[in-house]
Amino acid sequence: MNQALMQMTVSGALMGLVYALVAYGFQLTYATSKSINFGQGELVMVSAFFSLTLTDLGLPYYLMIPGGLLFGVVAGLFVERAGVRLALEQKSEGWILMTIILGLFGFSAAENIWGRDDRPFPTPISSDPIQLFGISITPLEISVAVGVFMIMAVIELFKRKTLLGKAFEAVSADRDAAELMGISATRTIMLSYGLSGLVAALAGILISPITTVGPTMASALVLKAFSVAVVAGLESGFGVVIVGLFLGSLESLTSYYVGSGWREAPGLVLLILALAVRPTGIFGKGVIRKV
Amino acid sequence: MRRGVLTVLLVGLLATQAYAADSIKIAITGPFSGGSAPMGASMRDGAKLAIAEINAAGGVKVGAKMMKFDVLERDDEAKNERGALIAQELASMADLAGVIGTVNTGVCLSGDKHLQEKGITKIITPAAGSASMTQWSKAKVKDLSIFRFAAHDGIQAAMVVEEAINRNYTKVAMLYDSTNYGVSGRDDMVDQIKKQGNKLQVVVSEKFNIGDKDMTAQLLRAKNSGAQAVLIWGIGPELAAVANGMAKIGLKTPLIGGWTLSMSNFIDNSGKNGDGTLMPQTFIEEPITPKAKSFIAAYHKAYKVKRIASPVSAAQGYDAVYIFAAAVKQAQSTDTKKIKLALEDLKEPVQGVIATWKKPFSAWNPDDETTHEAFRREQVVMGMVKDGHVVFGNDADRQRLIKNATSVKGKK
Repeated sequence: MNQALMQMTVSGALMGLVYALVAYGFQLTYATSKSINFGQGELVMVSAFFSLTLTDLGLPYYLMIPGGLLFGVVAGLFVERAGVRLALEQKSEGWILMTIILGLFGFSAAENIWGRDDRPFPTPISSDPIQLFGISITPLEISVAVGVFMIMAVIELFKRKTLLGKAFEAVSADRDAAELMGISATRTIMLSYGLSGLVAALAGILISPITTVGPTMASALVLKAFSVAVVAGLESGFGVVIVGLFLGSLESLTSYYVGSGWREAPGLVLLILALAVRPTGIFGKGVIRKV
Repeated sequence: MRRGVLTVLLVGLLATQAYAADSIKIAITGPFSGGSAPMGASMRDGAKLAIAEINAAGGVKVGAKMMKFDVLERDDEAKNERGALIAQELASMADLAGVIGTVNTGVCLSGDKHLQEKGITKIITPAAGSASMTQWSKAKVKDLSIFRFAAHDGIQAAMVVEEAINRNYTKVAMLYDSTNYGVSGRDDMVDQIKKQGNKLQVVVSEKFNIGDKDMTAQLLRAKNSGAQAVLIWGIGPELAAVANGMAKIGLKTPLIGGWTLSMSNFIDNSGKNGDGTLMPQTFIEEPITPKAKSFIAAYHKAYKVKRIASPVSAAQGYDAVYIFAAAVKQAQSTDTKKIKLALEDLKEPVQGVIATWKKPFSAWNPDDETTHEAFRREQVVMGMVKDGHVVFGNDADRQRLIKNATSVKGKK
């Protein structure tokens, strides 16, 4: 029985890491611009389809990854230019509707270009389970964990160690002050959308071999990621990982011990609790407004 | 001048009427695009293959004339509202001889009533859950023009349970999706376990949602309860997630379930993890009889494929057309009501690719929908996934079909 507990915790935690990665995409753009891309799920899906097309064209897996990531960056920049920039300049909330519309557009485009079927995503990484301390785990799942931690570590290091990264942090901390110091907020926001697109594309490439690629592949995922982002607070990259792991494990343990019909319940309870008790999120900073 | 125009119009009118009376107008409907397309398109292609063969041989002899089939195709996209619109359109055609098609139960439920109202003969194939026929028996309809040419869920559930019992299993896990299709499939299986003597104990009964990719919890419960087989009712992508999840946690019991386990989106997405999966089938793409061989070769050639996306659908579409043609011949008319009466009492056996059909249908009895159901247990075999194809699961089935085919030939 103890073994089942371990198995469910680990399986769930791996799923939770994917929630965390998508949530991290929300967090990146929220930090700089206080806006998020509501079409993030579609961005994951379209990037996955694009990467699948690259593979179908005969590109080997390790060359396909940079291609897919580049596509994600370009798509992220496109969302920023087409849907977010003007709204932010006018201090309006138009970006909400615009990013939703861009997402719907991506969904229809995917249906028309790639069809409505779920398709397998080939990968050289084995999906044969290996036994670790009595738990079955596949190298494919390990690759997801490694990929998630790696990309987040790289981006966090970039933010802390490079000049551009410091500009990013400065705009996150106080946009007006940063602009007075000569940092272009517009460029920094562009950068954050590009990174967010990159993260979305990586999420698509990592999970597709497990979940298959289809137009609806990310619709459930993005809702979970949103819960994670809200519960953790949209300020903290570290927080989304912790909450992601926690939520993933909790879901999987609930469906094992309580029943598969209750799977979605803990996420929702957590969301309601967080909104009621700590609206800025567990790891969020309290906002101090100086008058 | 005016008279001239009128004459031209009149001649034109007569000409089209004469043309209509010279052909058998038949509609083929189904989802030819979208998720159910492997079934819909294979059915359409199988049916059109049969029609091409009949037309190439001159057509069906009605009275002194040889009449050819004239096909109308309508794509319902597996959408209920599209199905209703198409049925309304077809119901308004006075010279329509009949309709063949429909994959989705919902489309049947929303559309067939319009055809039934006008008494237009329809053969439902290749699928549609039990509700597509029970809606008529429940309503106590006296005279029904809807027939079904598919292995209904009841037969399939019986075979799934039978297979588990034949393999001497005593404990099984039941998994089903949370849709109508999945839940009614579970009910059918539970019913069958009772009917077949309560030899199976259901140790775990778990559901999953459309779109679920991680089935570890359900499967781990199945594993820890000592289930010897997983009986399952769902559709392609989730079935594939179950097969992949079983491989992951090392649950090496067989997966047995409804015919949807032969869908290409299950086979392709589960890869080698799908090998050994068992499901009832009405047709296996193996050239074991001369008829099957020529059908498979003709299909591959006509549509330039190496594998039929849904062999069951293609073969059912093909046989449904031949049965329909036999009814036209017997009725000696293209009047849809006369064809319906002929279908209820076919005198001559029809040689199809699935079986030789002797009196597939009888007069409608609202207390027994099998009067308008062609398939019985003996026309269905157990299929098994092997290396991306569906092959015979039991060699006995294969031998039986070969024997049946040769005995029919012997009689001739």
